[in-house]
Amino acid sequence: MTVTAISIKIYILCTFVFILFFNLDFSTVEAAETDEVPNSNWIFNLEPISESDWDIKKAKHLLERAGFGGTPEEINRIFILGPQGAVNHLVNYENIPDEFLKTFNESGIHDPGLINFPPSRPATTKLARDTGEALGIKVKASGNRKMQPIVNKFFYWLRASMLETRRLAYWWAERMLITPRPLEEKMTLFWHNHFANSEAKIRDYRKLQLQNATFRKHATGNFRELLIATAQDPAMLYFLDAGQNIKGAPNENFAREIMELFTLGDGNYTEKDIREAARAFTGWNTDDLVFLVDDDKHDSEEKIVLSNIGNFDGVDVINILLAQESSAKFLVKKIYKEFVSEYYDEKTINSLAHILRENDYELKPLLKTIFLSKDFYSSNAMGTHIKSPVVLIVNTYKKLGLHEIPGIPDFNEASTLMGQTLFWPPTVAGWAGGKSWITPGLLMERGNFARSFLYPDIDFIPHDIHSYDPKIITMHEFIRRGEDITTATQASNGGENMITMSEGSMMADRDEDFNTRYGSYRGWQMAIEKVKPIKRVAAKLNISKMVLSNGARTSEDAVNYLLNRFLSVPVSDKKRLQLINFLDFALGTDDLIESESYLEDPLRLVLHLIMSEPEYQLG
Amino acid sequence: MNRRNFLKNSAASSIASLFPFNFALANNNTSNVSDKVLVVLELSGGNDGLNTIVPYADDMYYKHRPNLGIQKEDLLIIDDHFGFNPGVVGLEHLYKEGNMAIFHGCGYENPSFSHFTSMSYMHTAAPNSGEEYGWLGRLADNMAPASYKNLLINIDQSQSLAVRSKYHVPIVFDDPNRFQRQGTDIQKNLLDTIGVSDDQVPHNKTHEYLLQLSKGANDSSNLISEAWSNYERKVDYGITAVDLDKITALIESDFPARLYYTSFRDNAFDTHVHQANVHRRLLSYASDAIRGFMEDIDRIGKTNEVILLVMTEFGRRVPENTSLGTDHGAAGPMFIIGKSVKGGHYGKISDLKNGLDDGDNINFTTDFRSVYATAIDGWLNINSKTILKKQFETFDIFSGTV
Repeated sequence: MTVTAISIKIYILCTFVFILFFNLDFSTVEAAETDEVPNSNWIFNLEPISESDWDIKKAKHLLERAGFGGTPEEINRIFILGPQGAVNHLVNYENIPDEFLKTFNESGIHDPGLINFPPSRPATTKLARDTGEALGIKVKASGNRKMQPIVNKFFYWLRASMLETRRLAYWWAERMLITPRPLEEKMTLFWHNHFANSEAKIRDYRKLQLQNATFRKHATGNFRELLIATAQDPAMLYFLDAGQNIKGAPNENFAREIMELFTLGDGNYTEKDIREAARAFTGWNTDDLVFLVDDDKHDSEEKIVLSNIGNFDGVDVINILLAQESSAKFLVKKIYKEFVSEYYDEKTINSLAHILRENDYELKPLLKTIFLSKDFYSSNAMGTHIKSPVVLIVNTYKKLGLHEIPGIPDFNEASTLMGQTLFWPPTVAGWAGGKSWITPGLLMERGNFARSFLYPDIDFIPHDIHSYDPKIITMHEFIRRGEDITTATQASNGGENMITMSEGSMMADRDEDFNTRYGSYRGWQMAIEKVKPIKRVAAKLNISKMVLSNGARTSEDAVNYLLNRFLSVPVSDKKRLQLINFLDFALGTDDLIESESYLEDPLRLVLHLIMSEPEYQLG
Repeated sequence: MNRRNFLKNSAASSIASLFPFNFALANNNTSNVSDKVLVVLELSGGNDGLNTIVPYADDMYYKHRPNLGIQKEDLLIIDDHFGFNPGVVGLEHLYKEGNMAIFHGCGYENPSFSHFTSMSYMHTAAPNSGEEYGWLGRLADNMAPASYKNLLINIDQSQSLAVRSKYHVPIVFDDPNRFQRQGTDIQKNLLDTIGVSDDQVPHNKTHEYLLQLSKGANDSSNLISEAWSNYERKVDYGITAVDLDKITALIESDFPARLYYTSFRDNAFDTHVHQANVHRRLLSYASDAIRGFMEDIDRIGKTNEVILLVMTEFGRRVPENTSLGTDHGAAGPMFIIGKSVKGGHYGKISDLKNGLDDGDNINFTTDFRSVYATAIDGWLNINSKTILKKQFETFDIFSGTV
């Protein structure tokens, strides 16, 4: 038996004992409404909950998981729909108007010369050397650094695409925040982690933008259609080296990942299956942003994939993969861990996988079953999920009632500090999630994040203008004071031991085809000229109004209100009292009306403390 | 609930607290933790191995590196074939004392030339796979149950994939003075007790994990700042200590960690342009720091308990580029350094004539996981196959210490 299975058994057993204790005790204490009484029969029970089971706490939980949480008003709107109505509203979102959501406002950084962008700087200069031209720029006829403009443009695109991808992440985060269809964005985020492609390799925001739209289009649609669309999107084709997968010399990268990470899971295929499947995908490629099959490079001989024999192409292989039971189980397990609980049992997974297969990989019946199930509202699920950094940020801003993502702190930097960067997953396997989101250092970062929007930095540096790279900054300083490129390059190598001027003058300006460091510097300048800036506004918060308008009159009311609004799992009573005492101290009174004129700062201090607590990380 | 009701309801809570959610989260309950410490130093950016340990007796070297090739008279000669880059005086010293094992041609099949991808392969010790956890994370999980706190330390701004583990909580921090919560003075008491309350009852397993971790974070934050403030650096680490002095401080304080991970950061070794001076300087920083660390470890009396493994994501292309630098390559050397190490050359020396691939990169002659396996089996006395999923060749580099 696996470790997980053992721990689940122990867990169920212990929960049962716990309930006995709890019930016994509560038969004598009347305040039964103070806490949920987790029903042990509900764990791994896929039967739908009834109208009479429905309460505001469950509505809050549903909105946390099927979306990004909400304000008390938003939770109430879900609550009054009843369980069936609420789940229908969240899952069947197609008719909810969302035209007011802005499309991504592109900077316009691309030009035709950048099509078929070479994989590296050496490949670019080799192309220029071989053909006299690259990236739409000709090699200079004579003189020094004949390829410099080409190298500049190479770096321009790397920087510009990176910055534009960060803008795209901003746009997406804002969409998560204000969409009336939260499940659409939550599933889009889920697919971004399932088909984890990174700008680090793709280096073309346009491809990631298209892929993001594909994920959204099929967010809760049919997994088969999503898989085919993703496999034929330029991002995935590029990310997993489709261009190098040709008849006679197959590249197995995509075939391996589609089996290991997208469908079957490790251990459900052989190396031979991968080799054969790779042959079926030969010839799949893109013409810039358009999928095409290059018939000359496609291997049209017979293949054997998972005991199926035939002259398969890529779509045939996808169909073979999805015909395997392990594919549905693999996907369901991932969905379960993300939306229900890290702790699962095989029987539940099998039942849910059966639903997915019965519905030919339509996702909605599966999602509805999950969101309505007693299991989803059991103690194994509620408040057991560690929010990812991106979800934490969006969820926080949402609960604060914000309608745009603040520019200070920078959304991408904040999420990166906590361990997640949209469009930059660490590996093709995505973010590990769960407990790996939190380390001692990262837990502290989460508290520090709260502080960073409650008290915005006055020394904030917008890195969409200021390069992070000290080498570029030094290069810039030396070029500005009139040094030649070689001297500036030498200086930019930095270091305390460096006697920059003497080394520079020893060499004078070098005779060379190009200077990469200068290209890196010039490319940055060209990029910030083209890429639109991110609006750098701090969060506009009014915590005192939030608290007062909801009827709080004492410090205790205020703390209770904030705890209830922001937490899914309560802090201990002593902690709550400490927070009340702290607020009393900071206000000099427990009367909010008396202290109304200076209430805001003390409330922010309390909110910072609440958001630093481990309970705040759970949803 | 108001304050008057608090007492009444806290009685209910205390009944609930009779039931502690104390499950062993780790996969075993036996600890394999000895006194032996493994420190891993990453040279990020792809160190140019060829100009670190220079095969001066090989004409091909000078043929590929007409400008960047270091002449024999400038090298720190260690034998009739190799000389160290003139910057690595510290390593030369350690090598000549017989405490440095050099593993030649370390790499893997189908090398990636991306920093990111290749480094993730080095971190997971599982190239071209979807492995989620790092090799040191898996090692920690194997060595001890998660109840053993602070086994694995990663000094960096963000957590390295190398230490990502299923059960253990790697302690990740950068500046010991900043591994703490930001806040105002009046919040201090409450910030110091985040996640801690004597009436706290875990509501579920994840909650319990977070509560334990918070307490751990407060504790390790305190232990680490204490160790750091008690530490007095008496040894010269050179220009930068590459965080090795922080590791010494923790070892000196009898901190429970046995696995440490640190890096020479920011892709520093990515020497595409005007490489000669900068590479020499980077090497001297790293090598001075390593020598300082070894001396410091000796000073605190732990010399037989610590080894240092040095790795990078890839070597660089054999021929120099036109900007007097080198581009991303494949195989390169790795090192294990320590008093318990039998110094010398290990692994097959790279052949610069016939041993290059189509892209002029060195074909690997030693799987990098053999070096990991050597440290795991030979030093920590743990079956490397369980960590690396396959039995890799190990080298007999330890002088009968295990």
